[in-house]
Amino acid sequence: MAMRKKRFDAFPYLLLLPAALLMLAVNLTPIVQGFTMSLLKLNQFTLGQYLDAPFVGLDNYRRVLFDADNPLRHGLGLALRNTALFTLTVSVLAIGIGLAVALLMNRDFAGKGIARTLLLLPWIVPSYVVGTLWGFMWQRDVGIVNVVLVDWLHLLSERPFWLLGSNSFWAIVIPTVWRAWPVMMLIFLAALQSIPEEPYEAATIDGVSRWKQFLHITLPLLKPVIVIQLMFQIIDNVYSYNIVSMMFGQGAGYPGEWADLLMPMLTRQSFNYWLFGQGAAVSFITMTLMLVFVGAWLKAFRRSMTGDD
Amino acid sequence: MTKTRSHLLAALAWAVVALSLLPIGWMLLSSLRHASDIAAGEQLSSSLALRWENYRDLWVNVDFFNYFRNSLVVCGLATVISTACALCAAYALARFRFRGSHAASLAITVTQVIPGMLFFLPLYMLYRNLGESWGVQMLDTYRGLIFLYVALFTPASIWIMRGFFVAIPRELEDAAVMDGCSRFGAFVRIVLPISAPGIIATATFVFLLAWDELFFAWVLTSSPDVQTIPVGIRLFINQFQHRYDLMMAAGAVSTLPVLLAFFAGQRYFIKGLAAGAVK
Repeated sequence: MAMRKKRFDAFPYLLLLPAALLMLAVNLTPIVQGFTMSLLKLNQFTLGQYLDAPFVGLDNYRRVLFDADNPLRHGLGLALRNTALFTLTVSVLAIGIGLAVALLMNRDFAGKGIARTLLLLPWIVPSYVVGTLWGFMWQRDVGIVNVVLVDWLHLLSERPFWLLGSNSFWAIVIPTVWRAWPVMMLIFLAALQSIPEEPYEAATIDGVSRWKQFLHITLPLLKPVIVIQLMFQIIDNVYSYNIVSMMFGQGAGYPGEWADLLMPMLTRQSFNYWLFGQGAAVSFITMTLMLVFVGAWLKAFRRSMTGDD
Repeated sequence: MTKTRSHLLAALAWAVVALSLLPIGWMLLSSLRHASDIAAGEQLSSSLALRWENYRDLWVNVDFFNYFRNSLVVCGLATVISTACALCAAYALARFRFRGSHAASLAITVTQVIPGMLFFLPLYMLYRNLGESWGVQMLDTYRGLIFLYVALFTPASIWIMRGFFVAIPRELEDAAVMDGCSRFGAFVRIVLPISAPGIIATATFVFLLAWDELFFAWVLTSSPDVQTIPVGIRLFINQFQHRYDLMMAAGAVSTLPVLLAFFAGQRYFIKGLAAGAVK
């Protein structure tokens, strides 16, 4: 298009307008209001006044972080620990399995295309279905997991409770990984197919082992993809909600101290105890931490993501 | 590489496929069993006939169709509107450098880090106030849910669509504008038709995300005329804790539309997903 000299051009703004209004209404305004709420005393008596509720400054933040008798704080510590462990475990497993299977699929064999499509199916299953399905599979007496582990393979001598105690951590990690790794596989497969064959041929002639080839050729070339996918995985998993809330009863129920994650905890405690001001404070702290994390991540890996190093 | 090794690796690949599909097979099998057989732990017994009646029960006795219809309406409309908004915005960001384009890109990135769910209460209050002070009913209506889904999923769709637009050479539009076409005309008549793969990929993506949304559907709706499938299943679990047969049937039925959408858009969607991620 011909360069117009400094004349105001309304066209791109008009194109952007609908999306901008949507984001203003549903993303940006609620963040500002959420911050305002975090400075107010909002409980069942003052919720009707909403943003005119009594101003308490940073008291919500203090109570969330330091007040030992506060129900929200009590849940928060456990939920944060679980969310951190959950996010780390799921992200690493999803990427590790995704990469391993991508290497396995990046070769010629009969039915390769069908196999690739079939592998994506777990990811198509809606996450709320994944939650109910695995909740059923983990049942102590009728669940298939115990049937396989105890009755068929005799790996365990008695049937464990998967949805109680520290086992419940794995009960939420495994279904999440099951649904997450297929997409990682797909992305790594596409990346692997864009790698030329020459370096491998040269390395093979030089007698370099396949494992060394993977470490010194494949992995460095995949680094940009791994870095960006790890970031997206971490963001997704920190905000995980559907699987936990469908697996443990109606979602208003307590998933136990090893399966309670940040988002289920936050929504449940806010509604159960009418602690909306404190809930907003937790939301705001989470938001800040995530923005700092993503900003730092992008800054640290900027060069490797654009492929400059 | 030896032939044996190659066969072994192919066998391993198929083993991975089989293993990862087992839970889905288990869902389908259980959905065709009688609740009492499941409770007795006998759902694997081969002497049992397949109970297709479970699916009829789901339709007739649980009124699952109601939730199914609501999900189709809400997610279908949200997909169309969100894709349209994303198309326009992505075109603006891919083609023009203008004051504020950086801020817009940054805002889109930020919304990806802060999901709407984190600030659910302001959204809920906004909807309540729109109903009480302005007479625009947003709570417990199709339009409330559709509007929210459109807004939640548009930013990510812009990102996907933008990648497709950047790949299209701009000479085509320039030529059309030279021939007297308006710029919007060139966008609609020249750019959109050749962007069909990108549009299909984006629409598939939005539909999959909308179909998977549970939290806001749970908070913002309260009557069966509006509630979507995930809310229906959650209410069902509440009421009938041990009807795993029907729960699994519901799971299978709710997977079907996204499966169809995925297969319909698969060619473009997989390409878009892989390309968008690798770039």
